[in-house]
Amino acid sequence: MTTRHVSIRGFLAWLGLLTAAAIPIGALADETCNSPYMTGLIKGQEDYVHVWTLGVEGWGDGSDKLVTVDANPRSKTYGKVVHTVSVGGHGEAHHMGFTDDRRYLWAGRLDDSKIFVFDVGTDPSKPKLVKTLSDLPVRTGMAGPHTFYALPGRMLVGNLSNNRDGGGVTGLAVYNNKGGFVHEYAMPTGAVNGVRGDGYGYDLAIDPRKNVLLTSSFTGRDNYLRDLGALIKDEAAMKHFGNTMVLWDLKAMQPRQVFSVPGAPLEIRWSLNPNDHWAITATALTSKLWLVRQDASGAWHAKDVATIGDPAKVPLPVDISIRADGKGLWVNTFMDGTTRYFDLSNPEAPRQTYAKQTGRQVNMISQSWDGKRVYITSSLLEHWDKAGADNEQFLRAFNWDGKELTAAFEVDFAKEKLGRAHHMKFTSRAVGVAADDATPIPSVGY
Amino acid sequence: MMRRRFRRSDTEAAAARRGRRRGAVRTGVLAGAVLLCSGALAAADPGLPRAPQMQFVPPAAGTYALQRIQACPDGVLLDASGRARPLADFTRGKITLLTFFYTHCTDPLGCPFAVGLMSALRDRIGADPDLAGNVRFVSISFDPAHDSPQRLRSYARGLSAGAPFEWDFLTASSMARLAPVLDDFGQDVRIELDSQGRPARAINHMLKLFLIDPAGTVREIYALDYLQPQVMLNDIRTLRLEAQGHERHQAASTPAGSSAAGPRGGR
Repeated sequence: MTTRHVSIRGFLAWLGLLTAAAIPIGALADETCNSPYMTGLIKGQEDYVHVWTLGVEGWGDGSDKLVTVDANPRSKTYGKVVHTVSVGGHGEAHHMGFTDDRRYLWAGRLDDSKIFVFDVGTDPSKPKLVKTLSDLPVRTGMAGPHTFYALPGRMLVGNLSNNRDGGGVTGLAVYNNKGGFVHEYAMPTGAVNGVRGDGYGYDLAIDPRKNVLLTSSFTGRDNYLRDLGALIKDEAAMKHFGNTMVLWDLKAMQPRQVFSVPGAPLEIRWSLNPNDHWAITATALTSKLWLVRQDASGAWHAKDVATIGDPAKVPLPVDISIRADGKGLWVNTFMDGTTRYFDLSNPEAPRQTYAKQTGRQVNMISQSWDGKRVYITSSLLEHWDKAGADNEQFLRAFNWDGKELTAAFEVDFAKEKLGRAHHMKFTSRAVGVAADDATPIPSVGY
Repeated sequence: MMRRRFRRSDTEAAAARRGRRRGAVRTGVLAGAVLLCSGALAAADPGLPRAPQMQFVPPAAGTYALQRIQACPDGVLLDASGRARPLADFTRGKITLLTFFYTHCTDPLGCPFAVGLMSALRDRIGADPDLAGNVRFVSISFDPAHDSPQRLRSYARGLSAGAPFEWDFLTASSMARLAPVLDDFGQDVRIELDSQGRPARAINHMLKLFLIDPAGTVREIYALDYLQPQVMLNDIRTLRLEAQGHERHQAASTPAGSSAAGPRGGR
């Protein structure tokens, strides 16, 4: 197996040199990984999977695009692409997030820092581009809009970089649902409770019952847009990866605690069980699962709780997907194309209970709310995907019976000239109408 | 004509049906919410079944800043006496807590929950003479076909009557009048359909309460998981402290004899 820009042997050698640096690994999200504090979470059968796709020159129009795939087995077009929306150009399309009312889907690009807003509420089978936001760098000096997390009436955007030096020092931006800029918050670079923040950003997630926001850290634009082969030979550049997580007071939007979490902690998943108050993340470079949890005294801690595969073999954990009840976690490891399941019954000691190679390279993983369906895509970053035959580009759907992943359908994004398949979001078919004068609400007779 | 389609999960539809079957829940929820809000609120609200529970000590009023989220929309609505009034009459000059509702709502975690919570907040704010004179509540029906001014007067009886501060109930002459206001606030309203595809009686909406400063800027939006009475009270006090600071600044910079302008800010 070869990567596009560097041999695996060289890659392993490079990893061996690293201690607390990080390999950049993009990635994330699924239905259970949306902000759960929005309306219309799909807890039954999803109808559509929307795939935010990186354009490839020579493949169709070459543009980044939102690809909509029919995911309902009862549909005549099940497993088929039913719609695409090209946004023009290609700028490292990466992640997406719904607004709180789930009517709109925001999608970001890591290169030109544009944010595209799609209407998915009017007709989810035919998303429509309704707005493009280009003001993030000008407004905030930040770059690389990554995570889009719904708050009531607004969107919290986690960024990867800045427009000043292209490094990893960045922050958070808040927009209202209309696309108006509201506020910005810098990631901490000073000491907070005795641990110094590195200022880097990646994912974010909230537990409103505890009034906490948790953020993770990755690397800056200079690294994530760089040819991987050249990057890993650059010892200085390889030191510029995140090694921290930050716990914020959500209401005050002030950092309360910085945790040392070496090795680029990426996706953050809070347990959605109302009785749980812990989050889990995977570190890309060190191949670990870390638990962030509050103890009986109220103090928060970050703890290394499990190893993912054999770190010496560089599995590169990328995306994770937590079950709705917080009892299990899917983990994709990019380099070996493996999808792993961890039993989280005891989050202090996760146990891998299943593994299957699901592709030559796998990145994002999303499971349905009921846990019965699992979707996987292939692309990590444009310049980090593998080359040649290993550069598969796909959306693969599986059924999960608790014991085995069984193939359901596949869309070959290379064969269909769509692009590099990255982030996924689910929608369901419209089943009602909005109130208007022509559709009066029936009287109950007062 | 405003006509949007929507989708809902099987689970949510079932929950909505369960909610409608729970008749006479309003009284119980109101009582529960009042109990919830009238006790010691500093650290942990006991909460209602399925309702969010606060498991933290919120930051003190005035120790944080509230974002300036968006300008408050405008429009012409009907007050409870049937007079057409600009919405701005109800969103300027005081700190305003505004929500949308409909009188027939029986979802225990929908409108009745919000009304109960607001009633409890009303009592706490009413006990503070300064807040009582500088805070108002506004409830706007998104069912104008049924929630006439007369019905609003009946509904409001016992909520706003005798209240130590202003609580206004508004409706619209038509959905066409109301729709732009809903859209501007980002408040979705969806009619549930029955098995025959006909509009049912239930209106699905995401419960939201909007906290608006005296200049008419939305400064906080509370959805169900963020509806924590003590947090809301602290937010209101934070805005009051902000306004008082502005008033002091205005007084210091205004020549004697001239009138001070109202608080400004927002956009």
